[in-house]
Amino acid sequence: MSTAKSRWADDDPETEAIIAQQKREKEAKRRAKAEKQRQLEAKAQQTQTPETNSHPANGETGPPKKRRRLSNDAAETTGSDADAPEIAPQKKQSTALLRFPAREWGTCRHVDNFERLNHIEEGSYGWVSRAKEITTGEVVALKKLKLENSPDGFPVTGLREIQTLLEARHPNVVYLREVVMGNKMDEVFLVMDFLEHDLKTLLDEMREPFLPSEIKTVLLQIVGGLEFLHSQWIMHRDLKTSNLLMNNRGEIKLADFGMARYYGDPPPKLTQLVVTLWYRSPELLLGADKYGPEIDMWSIGCIFGELLTKEPLLQGKNEVDQVSKIFELTGPPNAQTWPGFRSLPNAKSLRLPSSSSSATSSGKIPLLPRSKFPYLTNAGLSLLSSLLALNPTSRPTAQQCLSHAYFKEDPRPKPREMFPTFPSKAGMEKRRRHHTPEAPKRGQEAPQLDFAGVFGGAPGGDTGEVGAGFALRLG
Amino acid sequence: MAPTTGLKHLSNALATPDQLSNSSSSLDGVPSDLETSIRCAGAQLTQTAGVLLRLSQDVIAQAIVTFTRFWLGADGGSLRIYSVKDVSAAALYLTAKLSFQPTSPRSVLNVYHLLLSRDASPLWFVNPRGTPAQPPAPETYILSEGGYQSARLVLLRIESVILRTLGFDTHVALPHTIALTYLQTLGAARPAVSRRVIQHLNASLLSPQLLYVTHQPNALAVAAIYLASREEGVKLVDGEWWEVFDVDREELGFLVVAMKSTEGFMRSERERWRDQGIPMVVEEVESEIRK
Repeated sequence: MSTAKSRWADDDPETEAIIAQQKREKEAKRRAKAEKQRQLEAKAQQTQTPETNSHPANGETGPPKKRRRLSNDAAETTGSDADAPEIAPQKKQSTALLRFPAREWGTCRHVDNFERLNHIEEGSYGWVSRAKEITTGEVVALKKLKLENSPDGFPVTGLREIQTLLEARHPNVVYLREVVMGNKMDEVFLVMDFLEHDLKTLLDEMREPFLPSEIKTVLLQIVGGLEFLHSQWIMHRDLKTSNLLMNNRGEIKLADFGMARYYGDPPPKLTQLVVTLWYRSPELLLGADKYGPEIDMWSIGCIFGELLTKEPLLQGKNEVDQVSKIFELTGPPNAQTWPGFRSLPNAKSLRLPSSSSSATSSGKIPLLPRSKFPYLTNAGLSLLSSLLALNPTSRPTAQQCLSHAYFKEDPRPKPREMFPTFPSKAGMEKRRRHHTPEAPKRGQEAPQLDFAGVFGGAPGGDTGEVGAGFALRLG
Repeated sequence: MAPTTGLKHLSNALATPDQLSNSSSSLDGVPSDLETSIRCAGAQLTQTAGVLLRLSQDVIAQAIVTFTRFWLGADGGSLRIYSVKDVSAAALYLTAKLSFQPTSPRSVLNVYHLLLSRDASPLWFVNPRGTPAQPPAPETYILSEGGYQSARLVLLRIESVILRTLGFDTHVALPHTIALTYLQTLGAARPAVSRRVIQHLNASLLSPQLLYVTHQPNALAVAAIYLASREEGVKLVDGEWWEVFDVDREELGFLVVAMKSTEGFMRSERERWRDQGIPMVVEEVESEIRK
């Protein structure tokens, strides 16, 4: 006992493996000991431990008057329940009380319970590999968290990833089974359900883009998962096609919660350095330090566009180029479409073309150029345009999105069972690296951006000829 | 039945009967009354440190629940291996990190150094003589730079140990807001009652019966409302209103007794440890066991 203790006090990383080994042995012993004790005292404990059954004596000595008095009018009590239908569902003669899901906690298992099969991908927050649980033979995805250079202990991003994933139990969110550890304290692995594809690789491999009915199925699931997250006050903050997983049954799941976090109302102070550049919303690019779930809706718009054309919609080379690409598509903001954008930190240096040409629409979100999405229906274009509204408050919420007319018109969403299957890249072969830029690193300085060059530095220059984006509006 | 997924943020993981009856400390030979005393003092230490760090009570309460869970079960932490003060500090630091009010290791360690100073601590179980008339010498409660560096390593290591022990499940649902909602539903949300409810809920964090890891928040809320309304002389609706909030009479009865007994327990603790204080580190625990 005492040797183990002094070892623990020792901080030498080399001995940590040995310590962990000893610890495991000790715990095994202890468990055996506990088991023995339990068997010995099984009967005695059964009368002591289960709290609800064990203290009827206390309960009776506690509020005896109350109990007696109540038994008189117990018959009439059901009347008062009528106004709490959610909590007490339909009481009949005997009351049916809601029982909360009985969860427990336990120590992390060791990663040796899994056999690594092949490497899948390296993301900004960890390495992912395919693995097999040895006892059950189930194939899972094993994500090792990157924990080096953490002066503040366990990185808060990793903690949030685990916390939000444990909370977000939804059919369209990747299922975190458990967290396991290696021999050292900094070897932490997330065990998740394995899915065959990610949308990015899939779109790269496909010859033709998804059919309109398939796009609806995919998009509905993405937004459905996101709607659940937002209802739980979780922002994903890194939605992109490579973080959307798909299995061979047509199910889509949101993954990589490395940037996810809880938010509040009023919003807490948040870092601007979130969301991969191509999917980053204009308010983030303009330096807003207060933002909300609307940033996820912008990413959904980008993903929608990518599903339509098979190519990422807005491939900026850097922040300035990204802003210019966005305005090229949507037209520049003005005081009607986005009141108050001028007060954002990075908007000071932004020089916009004279806005007379685009100031026509009063408050309504301008539609995106029809020419960019020739095969999209009017309803589809209106949904896409509202998701890619520059003004965050103009974007629909995930919930509003789900009931949009686009999903109700023909062609209807394709049933998941009818979804085509594809050969899995992650299944056996090593993936090739994507060209998507990486998510911003935590702890970086927010760059001081000069947007003077967004429109070629020509204030009031001819806006008409610059591109399809500005004045052209069809249908 | 309502779908259970939506209830997750209102409910907690509870200790299993096995975890309650076999703590790692008891398997290591720590007498159970000593274990209870140390655990309760640790909860008080966490509460006081949280106040000094200006953390809000929901962060503090979550930290105390995390701290309490850590010691339970054969796989939990043993008082002969981990010092209560270190686990308390790490639980508070970890909880604050995940909240909207993160705090720095230095702030946490400064506060704990003060609270554990035998000369300057305001805590009776650390400094039974009480704060002296003369202000104590600064070196008795100010953390040196070298002391900070080594304490920081311990803090971060224990943080990992807590995470591993709890399987990285840091979710803690609290009864406080639930209780206020229930009070409004009952039409009894008067300031005096509400205040008393919150007082009961906060006192229960220190309960030797470990109420927060054996009962769901809705039950704690109902019991606190029951007690507070009686103490304040406020009449609630007739009928078994607690069943509306999914608590049966038996559970309510137990919780009411347990909540009422917390005060007496604290008094007897004070009496028992008045002269020597309660052990806060492994060495003190060892010498206490040897007695």
